[in-house]
Amino acid sequence: MSKEFKYVGNTFPCDDAVRKVTGDLAYGCDMQLPNMLHAKLLLSSIPHGIVKNIDTSKAEKVPGVIKIFSHLNAPDKMFSSYRIIPGQKMCFADEPLFANRVRYVGDRVAAVVATSLVAAREAVSLIDIDYEELPALLTPEEALKNEEVKIQPWGNLAHEYAVDVGELSPAAEDCITMESETQTQRAHHGAIEPHGCLAYCDTAGKLTVWTPTQSVYGARTVMAEFFDMNYSDVRVIKVPMGGSFGGKQEFLFEAVTSFMAMETKRPVKLILDREECIIHTKVRPAVKSRIKTTVTKSGKLQELIADSTLNSGAYSGATPDYATTLSQKVCRLYRIPHYKHTGRAVYTNTARAGGFRGWGAPEIITAVEVHMDQVAKKLEMDPVEFRLKNLVHPYDMDPVTNISLGDARVIECLEKGVEAFHWKERYNSQQEQGRYRRGIGVACGAHKNGMYGGFVDCTTMLLKMNEDGSLNLNASIHDVGCGIGTVMKIIVAEVLDVDPDLITVTEADTELTGYDPGVYGSRVTYVVGACAKKTAEMLKSQILDNAAVIMNKPKEYLRVENGHVVTSGEAEQRTLSYKEIAEKSIQENYTSLSAAYTHHSTSNPGSYSVQFAEVLVDTITGLTSVTDFLAVCDVGRAINRGMIEGQFQGAAQMGIGYALSEEVKYNAQGQPLNNSFTNYHMLTAKDMPDAKVLLIEHEGDDGPFGAKSVGEISNVPTAAAVINAVNDALGTFLTDMPLTPEKILVALNK
Amino acid sequence: MLIEFKVNAKQYKMDVCPTMRLLDLLREELRLTGTKEGCGEGECGSCTVIMEGKAVNSCLVLAPQICGKEIITVEGLADDRELDLLQQKFMEHSAVECGFCTPGMLMSAKALLMKNPHPTDEEIRTAIAGNLCRCAGYSKIVAAIKDAADA
Ligand code: FES
Ligand code: FES
Repeated sequence: MSKEFKYVGNTFPCDDAVRKVTGDLAYGCDMQLPNMLHAKLLLSSIPHGIVKNIDTSKAEKVPGVIKIFSHLNAPDKMFSSYRIIPGQKMCFADEPLFANRVRYVGDRVAAVVATSLVAAREAVSLIDIDYEELPALLTPEEALKNEEVKIQPWGNLAHEYAVDVGELSPAAEDCITMESETQTQRAHHGAIEPHGCLAYCDTAGKLTVWTPTQSVYGARTVMAEFFDMNYSDVRVIKVPMGGSFGGKQEFLFEAVTSFMAMETKRPVKLILDREECIIHTKVRPAVKSRIKTTVTKSGKLQELIADSTLNSGAYSGATPDYATTLSQKVCRLYRIPHYKHTGRAVYTNTARAGGFRGWGAPEIITAVEVHMDQVAKKLEMDPVEFRLKNLVHPYDMDPVTNISLGDARVIECLEKGVEAFHWKERYNSQQEQGRYRRGIGVACGAHKNGMYGGFVDCTTMLLKMNEDGSLNLNASIHDVGCGIGTVMKIIVAEVLDVDPDLITVTEADTELTGYDPGVYGSRVTYVVGACAKKTAEMLKSQILDNAAVIMNKPKEYLRVENGHVVTSGEAEQRTLSYKEIAEKSIQENYTSLSAAYTHHSTSNPGSYSVQFAEVLVDTITGLTSVTDFLAVCDVGRAINRGMIEGQFQGAAQMGIGYALSEEVKYNAQGQPLNNSFTNYHMLTAKDMPDAKVLLIEHEGDDGPFGAKSVGEISNVPTAAAVINAVNDALGTFLTDMPLTPEKILVALNK
Repeated sequence: MLIEFKVNAKQYKMDVCPTMRLLDLLREELRLTGTKEGCGEGECGSCTVIMEGKAVNSCLVLAPQICGKEIITVEGLADDRELDLLQQKFMEHSAVECGFCTPGMLMSAKALLMKNPHPTDEEIRTAIAGNLCRCAGYSKIVAAIKDAADA
């Protein structure tokens, strides 16, 4: 480490931690507005069909019911729940408020608004819907084969892409080829807080929406465009969020709740139950990837050809972009002379897919990393050695995006991890042959730092110092649960050398806080954090300017120290507290201390993680447990150390579940089989190893104090490491996720 | 029906619908919204409260079942303004991320420590096995509980 920091790199509780441990913090579901009504959705029970008739006569009689909504009394207008900016590319307006043609089990058909949730629920159960059923296409293969059944008016192909960079030059030595096909599954985000929001349209026509969203400005765009309102008349306020992981990225409910609020002229609250969260909202897309590589006998990658098919579900949402993103991950990880990736996103009559932590990286990197292990096996090479020959080096260019990977330290992650995990000893130790088989696996992952190179990536902040020396950072922070506000406090505190507890940070509110496109692409610490640092530096300069006048000393002789400005080059050092400076600035210099800044990112380096897993597979039951786990990560610079470790440990919970148990499956009739936490298995405290975390810090990039992203990269190689460990334990080549006991037993019996 | 019960040391007498869940009674009637609903079917533990010294999922308890009983919710953990040690340790150990599982985790942990003041890691993991956390991967939560017990 090159510098000493006072706050950066220490551990601080997340923002609002006190209010979280006392139960005092109100999440959306805890909020109540005067005169508020409750909404309950009616979801489609069939996968594909036309709504022929809606009989609400019985439901209307339920005491407390105010109004029942469906396509019969809602605007006949489509929108894209993914749109953040007006005119955004790859946003297809294919979703209605209420469907008159249902496209999956869980599609939104109607809603009841009532004075209590109990009444709304009862009324929903009394609504009769007549459907004319249409053939349901449940897989991309079926959807592409049966083009005569159109899920969307333009057909079943949502999007196609092709990337082809570099070329295959004749190798100087013999090569081998390897082919594999990996199927990753639909997964539920599993945020413990269910989805929902509150909306109210006042008598002057101003709409206010309280929502745990990843982008208030995006939600505003969707609603203002849908209702044809001025952007300024739509106010979106971010409320505390009980986890998102991409699940609350799209604007699924804001428009429909607002519509019901406008129609009833009262505040309306919509909170989903768990089943609705699983079947109605969004899932991680299932992706099938075929990969073919050519590798020299000494282990140098020559070519990687991939083809991916992504299941979009019934509506496109983020999936066209998401599918394309699959092609932008592999060359951030490996040096590949010729890389070709074709792919597509396909509509099906299943749950709609959307953004999920890692955005395509866990899907494609799992396929690649499971494949790489098999290549190493064929070459009879330690999978670590094979990877070391092919991983990217610092400051390589990403040939797909033509952006520098920056100080990419994946090789160092791998080398340090090999030592810490005692890989060599474990890899070379004798396989056990009894009932329980132990195996180890490693996988590498790459991710990004923001949207630069593909999308808007700017943010605006205002930092002001109050007369008592405390500070308010006014910014569009969208804390998704990992303490983003705290990160900003630490950064500002470090620059100004002031206690972080003296800083208050706002959450996003379109009416009060500056523009920010939202929490996407692992941009927050890298881009928003860089803005906080720059804004704090500007304020520091102002503090020194004012102190220079008050102390009658050139600025060059002043510096900040522990909440004070101190002089240097004087026989007797003078100090002036921030409080005195802030007070005097207003009273004597007639200037308030505040700095506003808009930062836009101009780089997008790679974030890297290498993860190691040890598993124990029970060959009688097929059950796999992860007995040891290590995540190594190139974070550039840790800002809030404890929370970073927590991110990796939480990502391990999610990634191990992705590898072994979590799936939203459908039966042949298009009914979801995993519609509750009873049958959707997330790992509990008893299933989880004590995941270890090792951080690599070099601060070689543009983030604040060199910090890079953590939230998504933490989840990229996890599943692959676990799958590779299972394959190592059993001598198999399992690629059909998740590796449930049933699949493991089938493989063992072969 | 009329029931009497105690919540956070306060005595209540209330006329309730016999099918009302304890969770709704706490959240809707008493406005104690610290207790959360993550699944409504006994699988996530975010609704955990302590009933007669035992951790229960309040989404699975009906109001009449609490008649004559004593309930502690997350709001009753802190003594006036002084945080309970568990609450402090959760904060210190970065065991709180989004915080939605936190009240339930705290109550399961509290019930454990009330009975077993010095649990092993294994016992802690068993005690919170019914509490799902999607953010933190449990390690820091276990460490926080352990630290509170050892203090
Ligand atoms: S809400 Fe009670 S266990 Fe999930
Ligand atoms: S802290 Fe978010 S679910 Fe546990």
